[in-house]
Amino acid sequence: MYLKVRVIENRFVGHPSQKIYRLVLSGQLALKAKPGQFIHLRVAESHDPLLRRPLSIAGIDREQETITIYYRLMGKGTEALSQIRENDYISVIGPLGTSFTLAQKGEILLIAGGIGIFPLFSLLEAIDRTKVQVKLFWGGEHKLFLESAGLNYLQKLGIDYELATMDGSLGHKGLVTDLLQGYLEKRALNSNPALQSNRGLAPLSAAACGPKGMLQAVVNLCKQHEIPVEVSLEERMACGVGACLGCVCTVREEGGILRRKRVCKEGPIFAGEEVVWDDEI
Amino acid sequence: MTKSEQSTKQNKVCLETKLNGLTLRNPVLTASGTYGFGEEYAPYCSVAQLGAITVKGITPLPRLGNPVPRLAETPAGLLNAVGLENPGLEDFRKNYLPKLAALDTAVIVNISGFSLEDYALLAGTLDEASAEYGNCIKALEVNISCPNIQDGGMAFGTDPQSAEQVIALVRKNTKLPIIAKLTPNVTDITEIAKAVESGGANIISLINTLLGMSIDISTQRPVLANKFGGLSGPAIKPVALRMVYQVFEAVNIPLIGMGGISTWQDAVEFMLAGASAVSIGTANFVNPLAPLDVLHGLVDYCEQRGYKASRELVGLAH
Ligand SMILES: Cc1cc2nc3c(=O)[nH]c(=O)nc-3n(C[C@H](O)[C@H](O)[C@H](O)COP(=O)(O)OP(=O)(O)OC[C@H]3O[C@@H](n4cnc5c(N)ncnc54)[C@H](O)[C@@H]3O)c2cc1C
Ligand SMILES: Cc1cc2nc3c(=O)[nH]c(=O)nc-3n(C[C@H](O)[C@H](O)[C@H](O)COP(=O)(O)O)c2cc1C
Ligand code: FES
Repeated sequence: MYLKVRVIENRFVGHPSQKIYRLVLSGQLALKAKPGQFIHLRVAESHDPLLRRPLSIAGIDREQETITIYYRLMGKGTEALSQIRENDYISVIGPLGTSFTLAQKGEILLIAGGIGIFPLFSLLEAIDRTKVQVKLFWGGEHKLFLESAGLNYLQKLGIDYELATMDGSLGHKGLVTDLLQGYLEKRALNSNPALQSNRGLAPLSAAACGPKGMLQAVVNLCKQHEIPVEVSLEERMACGVGACLGCVCTVREEGGILRRKRVCKEGPIFAGEEVVWDDEI
Repeated sequence: MTKSEQSTKQNKVCLETKLNGLTLRNPVLTASGTYGFGEEYAPYCSVAQLGAITVKGITPLPRLGNPVPRLAETPAGLLNAVGLENPGLEDFRKNYLPKLAALDTAVIVNISGFSLEDYALLAGTLDEASAEYGNCIKALEVNISCPNIQDGGMAFGTDPQSAEQVIALVRKNTKLPIIAKLTPNVTDITEIAKAVESGGANIISLINTLLGMSIDISTQRPVLANKFGGLSGPAIKPVALRMVYQVFEAVNIPLIGMGGISTWQDAVEFMLAGASAVSIGTANFVNPLAPLDVLHGLVDYCEQRGYKASRELVGLAH
């Protein structure tokens, strides 16, 4: 869809130093949107910033017909976006791209690095937690960041989570992948050795979003433990609809042939095992 | 305004655009590399209302293109270093051409090579392939101007002799109208324009992107993996306009003007400078309806000024 939508809310949340904003948009977008998809926003009717900015859909409310976005001020584009007032109209293309697979039973592990938590919010919302057990691992710079980027939302949901911060101000001091590794190793030890690996347990899957280095580590851990994992990739975008080939990632096809895929069209959600990371090409 | 009002309005101003062997229903096209293979923007902008679409540059063999980052935004502009990623001639012929043939618009295929043989092969094969699919290719746009690949590409477009040679060779291998696409990265664009005219080009399109770069001051490295990229968008419009104006005075074949066109006012400027048609590139990324906004604005302008046909505008600024 290509339309103008009304801004219901656009204000910073959490501590001002963390520069995180919540944007709520009204309109039929909500009826079509799926967890993991993104929208391409015209942040200003100007030549500078010129291009649209891609932002993930973090919340979908079909009844109220609203979608929620969380964004962090980075540069000109997000700066311009933060100036838009409530009740203004803003041009949107979307929802765009692929979505996360919704687990129907068993257990799902969610792994987020920094603002990579935002697209996972929409997945969390959509999972039927009476049937699927959710475990979330989230790493950030420090306590203030995690608190500003939605920690109390997670607490309200009452899901099981573990946190990591670089400075140790909250949770484990270190990387979120340390937490994942610890969890998977413990789980493997507890599983029935007669059944080998984790095939005897409830079906386990994973979804992750964050910086490329983190995603690569997550995919490697999941491979070791034979867990299917979906990753949400980010790349600089111009068109957002597959026309410019600006946003590609590399994948390996059967027979080892390398191919490009467009993050905006064939992604942003990819099966972890198909992605070839920059240092593996 | 309703759709029917719009179309009756368009009927009052003749939009038919005759380009020396290529006839289009109106003078608004989309630019190569910015419009995929015609289907990407279909949900947002009906191709049936466009004069033509120009598809991504095709090379004989498939290309993975450059690593990412391939894009960097600059003030009023976009740097890209896609590096001619494309499926290659065989795959294009088999899997893309049939779909293009089904589109309700004129299709122009952009071709790029690294050697003279490449251009000959592309021209000959596409000539045949077009005939197989109901003559669906209306023209070949010969890209002798790509700044994003190491060898070839732009090299052919910066030397008048090589430019003439490439076009003459393509001429020998195809009956399709030839559009020679010029690079602005030269000292005197009129020399190259005259050379492709004598090589047998029917039409000249200009400009391709301007070679540029961007540096990230936090990492102190170039933003683009390729270091350099091609600048497009509103930032290059004055340069493009000047070149169209100069080339109009230097040759006798029609011009397709492009470079930073995002509004109908921009398009009118290009036509006044001497472009018989205009192509929309980067503006699509911002406003998927840009080509139609341009078209409708052009019609209104002609009507208000009492022109019966949009072609009356061409070159009036001289
Ligand atoms: C599919 C997708 C979903 C995203 N979802 C979110 C989200 O939910 N919340 C959020 O805060 N951010 C999200 N981003 C990142 C967001 O698009 C960028 O932070 C934003 O475009 C930066 O624009 P700027 O002008 O403020 O910063 P700039 O000054 O342009 O750039 C600052 C930094 O942001 C990065 N960046 C710039 N342009 C882009 C771009 N077009 N795409 C990706 N990164 C870019 C660059 O690494 C750059 O160093 C997402 C990106 C993608 C591709
Ligand atoms: C992402 C991108 C890819 C492009 N790819 C090609 C290409 O394959 N062949 C070509 O001749 N021109 C290519 N171009 C150049 C455009 O067709 C056009 O000449 C240029 O962008 C100027 O127009 P604009 O400012 O309206 O975009 C590309 C431009 C962009 C932005
Ligand atoms: S942003 Fe243009 S192809 Fe993805």
